Amino acid sequence: MSAPAYPPPYNPYASAVPGNMPPNMNMYDGRYVLPPPYTASPDYSRIHPSFPPADQGFSIPSQFLNEPLVANVAMQYGQALVGSGKQLVGQELEKYVPFSRIKYYFAVDTRYVTKKLGLLFFPFTHSDWSLRYEQDGPVQPRYEINAPDLYIPTMAYVTYVLVAGLVLGMQDRFTPEVLSIQASTALAWTVFEIIVELITMYITNIQTNLKTLDLIAYGGYKYVGIIFAVLLSILFHKTGYFIGLIYCSMSLIFFLVRTLKVQILPIGTSPSHHDPYMHNSGNKRRMYLLLFVAGIQPFLMWWLSFHLISPPVPKS
Amino acid sequence: MAFTLWNLLEATLLCLNAVCILHEERFLVKMGWGANQNIQGFGEQPSVRSQVFNLVRSIRTVMRSKYLSILCY
Repeated sequence: MSAPAYPPPYNPYASAVPGNMPPNMNMYDGRYVLPPPYTASPDYSRIHPSFPPADQGFSIPSQFLNEPLVANVAMQYGQALVGSGKQLVGQELEKYVPFSRIKYYFAVDTRYVTKKLGLLFFPFTHSDWSLRYEQDGPVQPRYEINAPDLYIPTMAYVTYVLVAGLVLGMQDRFTPEVLSIQASTALAWTVFEIIVELITMYITNIQTNLKTLDLIAYGGYKYVGIIFAVLLSILFHKTGYFIGLIYCSMSLIFFLVRTLKVQILPIGTSPSHHDPYMHNSGNKRRMYLLLFVAGIQPFLMWWLSFHLISPPVPKS
Repeated sequence: MAFTLWNLLEATLLCLNAVCILHEERFLVKMGWGANQNIQGFGEQPSVRSQVFNLVRSIRTVMRSKYLSILCY
């Protein structure tokens, strides 16, 4: 067994408490002098390390670790190791799933949620769509009504799956597999939509402040409209469903266009010497991206829910 | 209709495969889609075509890299 790195390799002239003078320096006179063997002493400030006879090789004597001071130091070192290990794991995980960023999107409260839901259903009277920024990111959704959040999309997604199960159960089309199929389908469409948006943003070389999580948030707002339309379809069947769908599509398009206009289109004109390098085609690309993001929502809303509405009751 | 996550994974895999097996010298150059054929200024914005070529090229490089092939074993 090789000597571990800690405690430090065998050094008979060093004491266990660093900083003290080696206790035997004054006794060294050119001969190999054996330091006095360890004896249990109540004075722990000058501890002579015990050592094995020279022919046995190096090993940690068990009495070394039984001393309270060494045990304390060893435990503290062990705890420091564990702490740094946890930190390292956290850092590695952070590269793949940004946990600290996700916490920002869930910093919501009831007031924000109610106002945002009202905004999703009736955005026509809201006038100020700008976003306030802190040092390096937008203000938390708790304090800024226009900031995107992930709480509403997540809850709306789960509610959508449950409402789908409910509606299918009312039509006697329910099996437990249907729930997982619905959840997986909706998730797959959301992932696909976000991948398409990311690739589009990369290809057209548009620089925005939108992160991936922002796109996930904006893509998840459509589930609120889907739930509303499907619930309407319970009462009024096909006409109710289409009326609800059209109204929610219009309000969602309006909401997304006004919200994303602030983030995608350049704000105002900045008279700077960069003008020769600014290209007007960037504006056109940004507008197309905006219209694409907003326009794909109604289509997806319809695709994800039209199979849930009940066929009209045959008049007999 | 049931376009589940598994179907998405399959479609992604097939698309990635299609991107990788397009041989550059045999097809793309002849069709004018080679990676070295675009001349662009330094300060201008890269065109859509050059971005697409860069994307295809980088996907191909990543998929053919040694690190990924080690994953197969």
